[in-house]
Amino acid sequence: MTARLHARAPQTLSRLTRLAAVPLAGSVILGGGGAVFLIAQMGILAQIITDLAFRHHHALNELLYAGLLIGCVVLRALCQGSGDMLGDYAGQTVTSSLRMEAMEHLFRVGPVGLAGQDSGRIATLLSEGIEALHSYISRYMTRAAAMLVTPLLILAMVAKLDGWSLLILAITGPLIPLFMALVGYSAQSLMDRKWTELLLLGASFLDTLQGLTTLRLFGRTRDGLTILAHQTRAHRRSTMAVMRVAFLTSAVLEFFSSLSIALVAVLFGARLLNGTVAFQEAFFVLLLAPEFFMPLRSFSASYHDRQNAQSAFTPIAELFTLPPLCQADCPSSTSAPLQSVQLDKLCAGYGDEPDVLHSLSAHFNRNQLTVITGPSGSGKTTLLRVLLGMMPLRSGQANAQRADGTHCPLESLTIGWVPQSPFLLAGTIADNLRLAAPHATEDALQDVVQQAGMSDIIATLPEGLQTSLGERGAPLSAGQIRRLALARALLRAPQLLLFDEPTADLDAANAAHVADAIAQASSGRVCIVIAHRSDLTRYAQQTLTLSNGSWTQTGAVS
Amino acid sequence: MTQPSPSAFSIRPFLRQARGVLFAGCVLSCLASLASFGLLFLSGWLLAGAAAAGIGGIVAQNMFNITLPAAGVRFFATVRIVARYGERLITHDAALRVTGKLRVWSFKTLAPRSESLATQARSGDVLSRFVHDTEQLGQFPLDVGLPVGTAFVGALVAVGVTSAFNPASGLALALGMSIGGLALPWLIGVLTDPLSQQQRDHTARLHADMLETLQGMADIMANGAAQRCIDRLHQRQTTLNRLIMGQAWRAHIVRQLLPILTMLCVLSVLFCASKALQAGHLTTAQLPMLAMGVLAAFEMVAPLMDARLAYERFVQAAQRAGALCDLPIATPEPSTPVALPQHAPLALRHVQLSLDGHRVLNDVTFSLAPGERCAITGPSGAGKSTLARLIMRLIDPDHGSVTLGDKPLNHFTTEQLSHEIGMLSQTPHLFQGSVRRNLLMADPQATEAQMIAALHIVDLHEEVNAMPQGLDTLCGEHGTRLSGGQMRRLALAQIILRRPSFLVLDEPTESLPPSMGTRMIDNVLAALPQAGVLCITHRPEPLPFMNRVFRLHNGCLIAEEGGER
Repeated sequence: MTARLHARAPQTLSRLTRLAAVPLAGSVILGGGGAVFLIAQMGILAQIITDLAFRHHHALNELLYAGLLIGCVVLRALCQGSGDMLGDYAGQTVTSSLRMEAMEHLFRVGPVGLAGQDSGRIATLLSEGIEALHSYISRYMTRAAAMLVTPLLILAMVAKLDGWSLLILAITGPLIPLFMALVGYSAQSLMDRKWTELLLLGASFLDTLQGLTTLRLFGRTRDGLTILAHQTRAHRRSTMAVMRVAFLTSAVLEFFSSLSIALVAVLFGARLLNGTVAFQEAFFVLLLAPEFFMPLRSFSASYHDRQNAQSAFTPIAELFTLPPLCQADCPSSTSAPLQSVQLDKLCAGYGDEPDVLHSLSAHFNRNQLTVITGPSGSGKTTLLRVLLGMMPLRSGQANAQRADGTHCPLESLTIGWVPQSPFLLAGTIADNLRLAAPHATEDALQDVVQQAGMSDIIATLPEGLQTSLGERGAPLSAGQIRRLALARALLRAPQLLLFDEPTADLDAANAAHVADAIAQASSGRVCIVIAHRSDLTRYAQQTLTLSNGSWTQTGAVS
Repeated sequence: MTQPSPSAFSIRPFLRQARGVLFAGCVLSCLASLASFGLLFLSGWLLAGAAAAGIGGIVAQNMFNITLPAAGVRFFATVRIVARYGERLITHDAALRVTGKLRVWSFKTLAPRSESLATQARSGDVLSRFVHDTEQLGQFPLDVGLPVGTAFVGALVAVGVTSAFNPASGLALALGMSIGGLALPWLIGVLTDPLSQQQRDHTARLHADMLETLQGMADIMANGAAQRCIDRLHQRQTTLNRLIMGQAWRAHIVRQLLPILTMLCVLSVLFCASKALQAGHLTTAQLPMLAMGVLAAFEMVAPLMDARLAYERFVQAAQRAGALCDLPIATPEPSTPVALPQHAPLALRHVQLSLDGHRVLNDVTFSLAPGERCAITGPSGAGKSTLARLIMRLIDPDHGSVTLGDKPLNHFTTEQLSHEIGMLSQTPHLFQGSVRRNLLMADPQATEAQMIAALHIVDLHEEVNAMPQGLDTLCGEHGTRLSGGQMRRLALAQIILRRPSFLVLDEPTESLPPSMGTRMIDNVLAALPQAGVLCITHRPEPLPFMNRVFRLHNGCLIAEEGGER
């Protein structure tokens, strides 16, 4: 699974582009067709103007040419429009599939692997960052191809018409991409800085926003503003540094193209004066000359897109290199109920840091409630994360045994988890419960709400289960949110039920109610509670104390 | 789509600040466009004139002065390059300045609305408004104002010059340009506006969903909902793709109408000009010149269609920014704040408060003198935390008053109150960055020794020392690197650094073992002996330290039996 994904993860921008090779090729071919009609259109226009001005034809005699001209223009518009459309399609396909792949990968990395990352930064990357790739694929890639096709076609046409003009265009044309590449290399580092600052701005704004109340309580709103103003200034400066290079590049480009068009015109002027060339040819070449430089100019304009995309892509590619810590869910081979969970000399820790859990062994049985206590920071939460499959073991084993005697990995179990600070989705209470079981009936919801001791509270809400929750669960209190999370966990009918401080923030009566619910819920499943409070130990059949990552005492309470 | 947005937001004040720069940019932009027009116009004449002279024989050849028009061509070319470069530099800088100002402004607008924001908006949505919408708004002069101004001036000049040579051609050009510059942008607007509104809504929803998924990942995975979440995002993305592509093909069709219109206009101008040529009103050389002029003139109206698309994006961004302005301010700041009284008691008199139509506090009367210690107990959801928010003036009561030394709290600014009252909330927010940064957030002047002392008081010092980087250890987003108990103690250390006169503690001993809780309360009270302390708790640990204990029941405070100590 992992290997396949890594092979699929796009390491470079050009590999990403290959995903949309077919529409891009179509776009380039249509662009080439457009160029042919463009040349024809200019030829016919030169013909009409020469007829009218020099051959003194009556305008109505030119109707055939006029019809042909309009035909060419329409065909060119068709080619150009559908080519652009295919380019957009390619861009949209690549960016949307990349976004979804990134999301899937992040799920494999899991919350523990992402702990060091700012979600504001990742969210900005997945939205703005990936959006930046869109114009790279839809514009830069098609224009890079058009830059070769259209000028070559025009050169071929000019070669037939006039040697001098061919010489001028053939010399100045290639100078332009060469010069741009030279400038482009130095601009890349500027572009990288601009992106770093944009991401920083996004992450820090989200953090400040979510801590607005805290800032107010500290009377530091004004300082938050100062920091923000400073960051926007830095962002403007780095963006302008990028822009300045881009504008200079296009100014130089315009200088080259104007110079050569003027040269073509003046050379023709002199020769027309001598009567050595015909007006029609000269006018045709003059009409074509700007079109020769047009694709080069639009390429240079979209070169900016490429740099932008490259800078935005680097941090996106880094997301894909985050190691997957989460075990993939594997369906169990047998449906026999869970008998027990064993830990055998288990060690675990974060990143390069030393082990948090040192060689832990334990046995958790069905129908048994285990309470694990220990001081703050002793590794209780880490142990839970290991049991949840959110972080890998460094050594040792964690296994489950079924009632029919077969062993299976923890990942194949249905696990219910009530975290210390549950995250609630924006939506109704029912939506949040149905996160665990999307098709649960209203009765099933009422049932688990009852078990978690929430039914009285929900009954007082005007819309009951359909009450919408704000971010962070408003208007429910912290204790009520905890009980809602308990109800949600019960809805999954889990084989292994894990609690992180289930009675924290609850008053004695409510805590007792929840404790009763936990004790009830432990029948028929393995149930592990992490708590440093005593109100659950009297329900526990096993009490373990964790200190600095090892057990200090184990006891069984009947 | 052009109806005024219902909100108070207007781009005008922001544009006014950048008025001079924008005007200069507009002048340069017009100059560049006109130079471009002159260049094509003149080179058409140059070529045809030379050709006519060439045919006309040796006298005509000698009469034809090629140096002057050639110099003119060079002049126009140079003006175009320089003006374009200057214009881009100036206007992009101005646009970024406007964007920056908008970002600071939106933060300023959001700050006093933090309470409404917490219940009514999703952070992901607000983030995208901040990054994306402010950029969209800031781009207004660049994407909309400039092209419209330039096209208007350019069209006037082009039509004027053409009419001077041949009025009929001028009329044809004017007609063509008004179709290209007015009708086509209108058409593109009509066709894409409804889709673009839907697209923005869906994009906002997708971004908010992604952020929610990222922040709630642990819970989503533990509920086995990972695949469902991904499927939902997929569905959103597919809908969005459909909308974007629908919008793209409509826009592409209208865009491609312009070159067709251009050629039709060239043909009509040629028709009129050839009549004039035959009537002798025009010379041979002027006919190609007028044709080239039409081509150049249409280049000036070409950006108007994209300007129309940008305008729609601008209107939507302005509406969303307005919606944020419309969020109610729960506690408006006083226009003329009064000085804070010293050593004055904090009092609630007959306070009544409803939240979401639900009566939370009925009739609460209570006072707290400096140095006094009170505890309030009561079941979960009884309104204890609401009481704390009242005292911090995060909300105002419906009836009754909250006063500090006989002055209602709404006479003071949030900043004044923040020096006087410190609150440990149930869900403290830690900022990204190190432990040190979070302590400095609370008190920017704190020395290392003060920080260590504060950590000692909350029993966190040894744990922080044991961390790999000590005070510089990163807390992670929302303090995810710390345990629940560590977070709460760090938040308490922040408040101790601020040394407030009143201390509101919302469940201070939660997530702590009882012995540690008792020790911590003892230390905190010893460190701030002068402070009036209001402790909201359902744990027994803080109670022995309190002078009075109340119970919040049915929205009223009841003194506990034996509460007077």
